[in-house]
Amino acid sequence: MRPNPDEVLAGIQAALAETLVPELTTAYAQEVAGTVQMLLQSLAAEWDTAADDLRRDNQRLRDLLGQGATVLSQSDAGNENIASLVKDIESALARPPSEDLRVSALRAENEELRRFVERMAVLIEDLLADGPSKAGAEVSELRAAVYGHLRDVAARGWSFWDLAGFREYMSRLRAEQSGDAG
Amino acid sequence: MQLEERLQAYLKHQLPAAVDVRVANLQRIPGGASRETWSFDAAWREAGEEVQQGLILRRDPDASLLETERDVEFQVMDAVYGRVPVPRMHWIETSSEWLDRPFFIMSRIDGCETNPTRLLTDPRFFAVRAKIATQFASVLARVHAVDWRAAGLASLGVPESEAACGLTEIEKWEAVLDRDSLEPQPVLRAALRYLRHHQPPPAQRIVLVHADYRTGNFLCDPTGEIKGVLDWEMTHLGDPIEDVGWACMRPWRWLGNELIGGLMERAGFYRMYEAESGLKVDDDAVRLWELLGNVKFAAIFVTGARSFCEGRTRSPMMALLGRNIARIELEIMDLLGA
Repeated sequence: MRPNPDEVLAGIQAALAETLVPELTTAYAQEVAGTVQMLLQSLAAEWDTAADDLRRDNQRLRDLLGQGATVLSQSDAGNENIASLVKDIESALARPPSEDLRVSALRAENEELRRFVERMAVLIEDLLADGPSKAGAEVSELRAAVYGHLRDVAARGWSFWDLAGFREYMSRLRAEQSGDAG
Repeated sequence: MQLEERLQAYLKHQLPAAVDVRVANLQRIPGGASRETWSFDAAWREAGEEVQQGLILRRDPDASLLETERDVEFQVMDAVYGRVPVPRMHWIETSSEWLDRPFFIMSRIDGCETNPTRLLTDPRFFAVRAKIATQFASVLARVHAVDWRAAGLASLGVPESEAACGLTEIEKWEAVLDRDSLEPQPVLRAALRYLRHHQPPPAQRIVLVHADYRTGNFLCDPTGEIKGVLDWEMTHLGDPIEDVGWACMRPWRWLGNELIGGLMERAGFYRMYEAESGLKVDDDAVRLWELLGNVKFAAIFVTGARSFCEGRTRSPMMALLGRNIARIELEIMDLLGA
């Protein structure tokens, strides 16, 4: 069905910019319109890839949690928080991934998996608090893997920060990512 | 009654000796996601003389990024007036009777710029950029030099000790996340746990911390002089290096490069601040406060997102900020060495 959603979003942005904003007479109203434009841009940037990104993220999170359960269960016997998290992860991973491809369903699964990653990331900082050599190389590697995924997610898409404080930072990051892909 | 008329009625109430009180040119000022800011002109006759004054109304919004007391902001700005460049405070009203929500009114400082993009890219300010940078450091030192006890600001809450300043702030922002997170926040939570294990060193002394000191929160005239420091909502007593760390954060490097606040190299900022304050700036201490500052910044966005999602506000700014935490997470991970 045409126009499709991202074409509609682009059209709404154009209507705002060309017709509505020029009619606004106060600086405050113009600022609100600018904010709405940025929100629309944010939605347009993720619309097409939202489901695929979530599906891939969920698979990556499952892989990380599997790695984490193995590493943590070897690391600090007797730590109740670790034992509890490992049990919860194993229970979650025993359930197959949902086949429901709606964004809402994928997002719900993502949230559940990220909740485990949140607990895991906190425990990793506890284990590394006295230094990486005490915690073991596997814990450091797990930390790197977790943050590697979180970085990939955080660098994705459009952000208004890319026009300001993060402008050169994101340019460098995108160039590195292109270099890696090349 | 329209806002202008209601303001007029309020001023008449506050100025019993005045006659013919008039309010004109009321307009909402863009920016500021925690309070509404309105500019207006007031005029009246008193003792036969015509008085004209530019004023600013700061009114609580329907929902905010920060659950702060406007009383604190008013009290602190009133207390530091004359010691630090700030607008003169006039009246604070905690009742909703006059303008539907609590508010305060302060003098307007005209002829200045606060917008960071204009400050840093308008050719009028190019020649005075070095002076603005110097002022930025020296005004911060003046904030930290305020004798908060003599100014009656111990009511802000004195940290248990110089060593407790870091943990006090870590716990404060952890509590905000506990209260307001709508979804898991692995980066923010891990960073807070890291900070618990690697707390900032003890404060050299407990000072008045502005807590949002940055390019974008001061009024600067065309000669490069800072005439007013704004947005004191998060002010508290604590470690001066907290303010140094906050000022250094990447989101305020408005030109997209590494210049602190878009104004100067980091080493230069440290040097100037040290010279004016008599305090030492330790790189690792700044890194830890900068890390906590980024977590705090993201937590503020989380609060705004919750307000939007729960329908307490329709402000698109709250939605936009909530959807833009990701770049802050990148910075947090860099500072974690992750």
